[in-house]
Amino acid sequence: MQTDGDLNPSQTAQEAPGKPGLSDPERWVELHGDYLFKYALIRLRDPLKAEDAVQETFLAALKGGKSFQGRSAEKSWLVGVLKNKIYDHYRKSSRETSFTDLEFNSDEESDRFVPDGLFKDGWIHELGPLEWNTDDSTLDRAEFWKAFHDCSNKLPKNVAAVFNLREVDGVESKEICGLLSISEGNLWVMLHRARMALRRCLETNWFGKEKEAE
Amino acid sequence: MKIIAAIKERWVVWVWQHTPHCTEILRLASQSLEQPQSVRTRMKMRMHFLICVWCKRYDKQLKFLHQAAAHLDHQDIILPGHGLSAEARQRIVQNLKTADSKNL
Repeated sequence: MQTDGDLNPSQTAQEAPGKPGLSDPERWVELHGDYLFKYALIRLRDPLKAEDAVQETFLAALKGGKSFQGRSAEKSWLVGVLKNKIYDHYRKSSRETSFTDLEFNSDEESDRFVPDGLFKDGWIHELGPLEWNTDDSTLDRAEFWKAFHDCSNKLPKNVAAVFNLREVDGVESKEICGLLSISEGNLWVMLHRARMALRRCLETNWFGKEKEAE
Repeated sequence: MKIIAAIKERWVVWVWQHTPHCTEILRLASQSLEQPQSVRTRMKMRMHFLICVWCKRYDKQLKFLHQAAAHLDHQDIILPGHGLSAEARQRIVQNLKTADSKNL
């Protein structure tokens, strides 16, 4: 990583154990900056807001003046703080304008279903989901995650936020409803359409391509 | 052979008429990730999957995405080149140091 800029590496905390306060910021930014920034960027989709959130997180750590046993404890603590900053941001924006989005994908891919007759609302066979060749190694592939990220970036902001909260962070429906002031019914509709859109996008951009390559 | 084909066709139509249609099955597939579905609903979904490979795949893929998404943050490879810029790093360090010196 060549992003040190003008920072002097000799000022890192390891060499100044007696005074953790002053040298810690550099060490934190060096060790955790990228991870926290990406974490925030995925959820906020705005580099400036993400940078603010990361800075606020470090400020909180500075004020807390905590010390940790090892890097990973430090990292999880920082991620926990950052997560709360991001949720604060969601909460605030849900107060300004409603978080509910029932417009996105509202036709629910109706063009893929039989419009009338005996098999009305059944898949048009040629347009139905393909077989995905997923196995344990799929999740280790950088291309899969790139496609996943690109596809989830195509979701509208609020739909993506809801999807990330539910699927990436594993927050329960009821908590999300409380956080964002939306009804459970509307949350379910948004999640259903988000999953549907993401699935379709991934099939085209990842699994479809994989098939062509074979 | 004709008889078997005819029986099969009647079976497919019978199941189709006694289970929710595909669009509804997709909604249920998503909803089952939110709350447990009744035995009756689960039975109907299973029945439907017997005659509809597309809904079966969809359900399986939704479950796969549900599990995959939870791994997103373990992927250090995600967003390559999207880390903090050198300028952003400096800004943050500078602001933190300023805040720190005020505290002293």
